[in-house]
Amino acid sequence: MAVVPMKRMELWALRDRQKPLLELLQLRGAVEVRPASQAEGMFSREDTSQLCREAEQAAQTLETAAQLLEPYAPGKKGMLSFLAGRPVKTPDQYASMAQKAPALLEQGKALEQLGRQLEEAEGQFPRLAAQKEGLAPWVSLDLPLTYTGTEHTRALIGSFPEAWDTQALVEKLEEALPEACAIELQVLSRMPQMTCVFLLCHVCWASQVEAVLRGMGFSYPPSSGDLSPALALEKLEQEEAALRQKVQSIQGELQDQAGQREDLLLAADYYQARAENYRVLGEIWQSPHAFCVTGYVPEDRAAALGAELENRFAAFVRWEDPAPEEDTPVQLRNGLFTAPMENVVEGYSLPTRQEVDPSAVMAVFYYVLYGLMLSDAAYGLLMVAGCGIALKKFKHMEERMRKSLRMFLFCGISTTLWGVLFGSYFGDCIPVIAETFFHQEVTVPALWFEPLSDPMRLLIFSFGVGVLHLFTGLGVQFYQLAKRRKYADALYDVVFWYLLVGGLLVVLLSTEIFQNIAQLPFRIPSAVVTVAGVLAGVGAVGILCTAGRESKNPFKRFLKGLYGLYNVSGYLSDILSYSRLLALSLATGVISTVFNQLGAMLGDGVVGALFFAVVFLIGHSMNMAINVLGAYVHTNRLQFVEFFGKFYEGGGKAYAPFAVNTRHFQIKEEK
Amino acid sequence: MNGFDWNMLGIVFALLGGVLAALLAGIGSAVGVGMAGQAAAGAVTENPSLFGKVLVLQLLPGTQGIYGLLIGFIILTQVGILGGDPNVSAVKGLLYLAACLPMAIVGLVSAKWQTKASIASISLLAKKPEQFGKAMTLPVMVETYAVLALLISILSIFGIGGLAV
Repeated sequence: MAVVPMKRMELWALRDRQKPLLELLQLRGAVEVRPASQAEGMFSREDTSQLCREAEQAAQTLETAAQLLEPYAPGKKGMLSFLAGRPVKTPDQYASMAQKAPALLEQGKALEQLGRQLEEAEGQFPRLAAQKEGLAPWVSLDLPLTYTGTEHTRALIGSFPEAWDTQALVEKLEEALPEACAIELQVLSRMPQMTCVFLLCHVCWASQVEAVLRGMGFSYPPSSGDLSPALALEKLEQEEAALRQKVQSIQGELQDQAGQREDLLLAADYYQARAENYRVLGEIWQSPHAFCVTGYVPEDRAAALGAELENRFAAFVRWEDPAPEEDTPVQLRNGLFTAPMENVVEGYSLPTRQEVDPSAVMAVFYYVLYGLMLSDAAYGLLMVAGCGIALKKFKHMEERMRKSLRMFLFCGISTTLWGVLFGSYFGDCIPVIAETFFHQEVTVPALWFEPLSDPMRLLIFSFGVGVLHLFTGLGVQFYQLAKRRKYADALYDVVFWYLLVGGLLVVLLSTEIFQNIAQLPFRIPSAVVTVAGVLAGVGAVGILCTAGRESKNPFKRFLKGLYGLYNVSGYLSDILSYSRLLALSLATGVISTVFNQLGAMLGDGVVGALFFAVVFLIGHSMNMAINVLGAYVHTNRLQFVEFFGKFYEGGGKAYAPFAVNTRHFQIKEEK
Repeated sequence: MNGFDWNMLGIVFALLGGVLAALLAGIGSAVGVGMAGQAAAGAVTENPSLFGKVLVLQLLPGTQGIYGLLIGFIILTQVGILGGDPNVSAVKGLLYLAACLPMAIVGLVSAKWQTKASIASISLLAKKPEQFGKAMTLPVMVETYAVLALLISILSIFGIGGLAV
């Protein structure tokens, strides 16, 4: 239930066993390799960056190939697929990749090639379509568009940007060139913005006719080679058909290989792991005959790993306890109930080696605070059911997701309990239904009390929970300091604060004003108040004298002590911050009430019931979604700011062992 | 205007307060969620797998609107519009109006600033997707003040109900 203790490993072995040894280390995934920053004499490092890059490129190629096959690959992803986790492969299947991967890589390269061809072919279609469109108006001409005429005639083939008919064109020409004769003109096609014409005239008139035509916006058509437009069009169509066939054949080929997609991805994972292996190989120190691997291993795995290495590779392994100041990687290990907190702790920052793992202390508070904020039995049960079913159904869920769902499962249980205590089941749903549809007065009694009718009581209770939470945080600080044998610091930084804040709270509770506001059921005896006052005074004086203890200058020390004492306002705001427990709890309840009342507006009868059902479904799903999220973020805040502020700094570096880190599959034994 | 019963206006003042809370906090949240949504969409274009995380950040400035709704609703239930005692004196009405102001004003302003923190956190997440815990905590700090305003508004409204003025 804590930070896993680490051992520092120093492994020596002969170079001829290097490859299988590193592969075994990677497969076991127990060592975070941390090579010494420098070595002397005959030791050197091998430059593996090229190999590393090649392996990464191979993985990239295989992933691209697999992506290409994705549209053809069977197996659809459902809405809940994110819960299912990556598909599982057995270690044997993974090990077989060592042989299969090179062939798969070749296949991947071929596929990549196919993909490029497919893209290129598909890119041709728009060009062909444009060319075909350009030729369409000219099909009725049985000469090539580049035809210029015979020895004595000149052909002018082109278009005007307007609609003309033959008559109008002939008149226009006669008007411009009255003396010209023997001009043959034929309109090939006519559209509102384009008229295509074929014109034949004697060569001696050619330039004048052309000048006139130009004046009317005449332009030459796109070339179709030396084929007539109809033939050119046919050729284009053939070309298109061939292209379409090519695309189909490529798609068919892809379809044929679709079944290989998983293998390609597994091979990509394999090459990714190879790249990692080469990276580590480049980091370790090697002499001509031997090599050395240093790193950190969790204590409980050290013995087995050491024995295996010694037996199989005749390696020499030395274990050491890391020095306290070493930057040892941090791994958390917790039980079923507390492990979900690891995600939350990681979200803040991992503990350093000197700190305790806060997960265990946090867990109870986390669930309690969460439940108090959401506090609706029905919502809680829904959460329990949802998370429970998902946890049961998806066997291969990713570890992180599993922890999160388990956290919400426990939060759901707590929410249910608080909901029962406060008598809230979908808000006041039961009384509203009873009154609207059955005309009966039903009350659902709260096991404790209803927050809506007595918010003051819940506010005081929230502050109480807050004080308990904060004091627990201080307690953890005491434990941490005591563990490091800093008893004086424990006294100064924890005990004095207990005295001051605790004493002040008791005095506050006894005041007239507070008694009136809170209507406490008890009176605090004056003797207790006096004692509390004295204790608070002792705490205050203690803090005043010790808060600036690192300064030598007495005046500076006094000022720092005053500043330390001023921190009591921090405690005030910390405690007040727990009022959000009340606010969020009321928010859930009141919004539920709003929707229930809204639903009941149409009264009883079929229409009324249908309306109620619709409003109920939409309203409560929205309310639940928003408040599940709200309770989550505010619980985190109370933990991160108020609770962690009392003892926790974090800044640890996560344990990242040299392992087979796969992206597409989980490698584990099928259960 | 002789004989005008000022107490007739009590319920008007009260409703004005409740409506203001729902209005201003709602406007703040609508603007905020909208702006954060734009930033979130940008982050998702770069990395679609961030959707779930940026959605949480987008929703953070949305709570003020809900708190506003809550206050508005409590007012409706207290002054006889949706149950409660319809005899609201002018003084009581004004008291209700005053009680709603923290939620209305702090709701609007905190939603705006929380949005800015949310947007900054979304760009943080776009660069460092693993820092979700931290990115989420920063905007939640702003929300504290909306929660405090909500608390004071709620406590005041419930308290006013019992006053004999």
